[in-house]
Amino acid sequence: MKVWRHYLLVVVFLGFCAALVARVGYLNVANSEFLQEQGDARTIRTVSMPAFRGVIYDRNGEPLAVSTPVMSIWADPSLKRLDIQGVDRLAGILGIDPVGLQMDLAANPNREFLYIKRRANWNEYQQVLEAKIPGVHFQREYRRYYPASDTAAQVVGITNIDDQGLEGVELAFNEQLRGQYGSKVVLKDRRGEIVKDLEYLEAPRFGKDLELSIDLRLQVLAHRELRSAIERHQAASGSVVMADAHTGEILAMVNEPSYNPNDPADATRVGLRNQAITDTYEPGSTMKPFTVLAALASGRWHADTQIPTSPGTFRVGRLLVRDPVNRGTITLLQALQKSSQVAIAKVALDLDERAVFEVMSRVGLGEYIGIGLPGESLGTLTDKGLRNPVIRTTLAYGYGLALSPLHLTQGYLTLASGGLRMPLTILRQNAPPRSERVIEESLAREVVTMMESVTAPEGTAPGARVSGYRVAGKTGTSRKVGVGGYDDKRHVALFAGMAPATDPRFVMVVVVNEPKGEAVGGGSVSGPVFGRIAAGALRLLGVRPDAEPVVI
Amino acid sequence: VQVWLLLVALGAAVVSGIQVVWQTHEVRRLHAEMEDMHTKQDELLAEYSRLLLERSTLAAYQNVERIAQTELAMQFPETVERLDQ
Repeated sequence: MKVWRHYLLVVVFLGFCAALVARVGYLNVANSEFLQEQGDARTIRTVSMPAFRGVIYDRNGEPLAVSTPVMSIWADPSLKRLDIQGVDRLAGILGIDPVGLQMDLAANPNREFLYIKRRANWNEYQQVLEAKIPGVHFQREYRRYYPASDTAAQVVGITNIDDQGLEGVELAFNEQLRGQYGSKVVLKDRRGEIVKDLEYLEAPRFGKDLELSIDLRLQVLAHRELRSAIERHQAASGSVVMADAHTGEILAMVNEPSYNPNDPADATRVGLRNQAITDTYEPGSTMKPFTVLAALASGRWHADTQIPTSPGTFRVGRLLVRDPVNRGTITLLQALQKSSQVAIAKVALDLDERAVFEVMSRVGLGEYIGIGLPGESLGTLTDKGLRNPVIRTTLAYGYGLALSPLHLTQGYLTLASGGLRMPLTILRQNAPPRSERVIEESLAREVVTMMESVTAPEGTAPGARVSGYRVAGKTGTSRKVGVGGYDDKRHVALFAGMAPATDPRFVMVVVVNEPKGEAVGGGSVSGPVFGRIAAGALRLLGVRPDAEPVVI
Repeated sequence: VQVWLLLVALGAAVVSGIQVVWQTHEVRRLHAEMEDMHTKQDELLAEYSRLLLERSTLAAYQNVERIAQTELAMQFPETVERLDQ
């Protein structure tokens, strides 16, 4: 009796053991793959590792675009861990309606994810974190801030919600700026906490910072002066471009109207566009220095060559060239100073057919410039029809071609640098630019000296003068093309110039589009803007005065 | 001799076993340390970006100019004047 009980137990135990071994063997061998997968599916997750987008700085290290983390706050309505008390406290911190939030949660009992507030700022996040409300979760996102706001909006541009560049530098240098999210495989426990990293799939790549050639101080100054001029003259829009005369770096590029990039809903179609590079205008009389340059280069003309302009009109084929008053006989210098159409027309007709065009094209007008911003326009400057004296005449005083303010900057930069053409750029340069001699230095210097007369009291733009410095420049006023030819009521007022004239530090182009009221000319509208910006810029850049000082 | 060899092999096995344990522990420890540093780097970068923004807000040129003109009663010189030596 004892014996069979003993054997029974042994058999039963061995039976259990065998069953267990069989089960273990079954799970481990036959079914292991399926079970492993199911297990992994519950615990192993691929998570992304965030990466910053690069900072955009100005040339002095002032930030123009900075990404900073923000926290989106969310809850899981299906778990019902967020109670009424929690909702009240949360709503109090975030300043939202507690009843609405409670209803949102109640209306979606099966959803596992509900945003309570997207992109809450850091203070709100800290407060919610400290309140330790159960059932509240956070998700990190990045928001891009633009400290310079509307001052540099078109140059810097904006990004979309996925942190990709949409406009301006953000778009043009997106590849360099963008951060690439990394990813890793992790082991999570039941509560969703990461227990262990298993594998790195891709390391996060941080976006590279970018240094622009823009000087924010000059940018702010130019923007303020442009904006006040546009208000004063009730103009439609305007642009200012300033470039370093030694390196071709763009120091300031502003447009009005503008928008606040921190609030993209504010962006209007006009405000979004970088008009300084996208919009073209007839440059008008700002082209006359190039005609004068061609005249001097011919060797037949000098600053003091006499030109009869009486009776103030001059017929070229079907074209009647007109001065506002009969200026009598004037010198070439005075033709530039007073901006005489008749005198310039006579000069142009005396020169070789291609002479004026050649100068304009050599200094870089009407070509693709490539400063590195999207939307740059080409402008139109062609050598078609130069055999026609009417075309040659109009070209000589800046009609029949269209240039952007950027082109004008390029042209005047070549004059300011003493005949060296260098590439304009929006990025800060560490090495001297590749420059190419396109104009004889003495000729360029002579034209610049002649252009100083424009800002003299008897010139067309005394308002562009700066106390203590010599300023060279040229005014321009062109009529806009409307229905059926030129529109007498819509003008573009331009001033292009450089300072100080003896050794230019910068060139600047001011364009005011459609000023209304009494003053519509480049001398009275854009000249004073140039003068005010130049005065501040010369001081900020610490340029030594080159005019006779007032000694006290 | 064979006994000696056996003992040496046994000792080596024990040492290598301990090594494995120690290495695993070291990996865990270093990994935790790296995670901490990643988190710290992240926090510092976030902090830096916030400070950068704060500084540029406070030191905005418009702000500096306003304070200089209103609180400190400073003004731009109208003309360039030079004291002759």
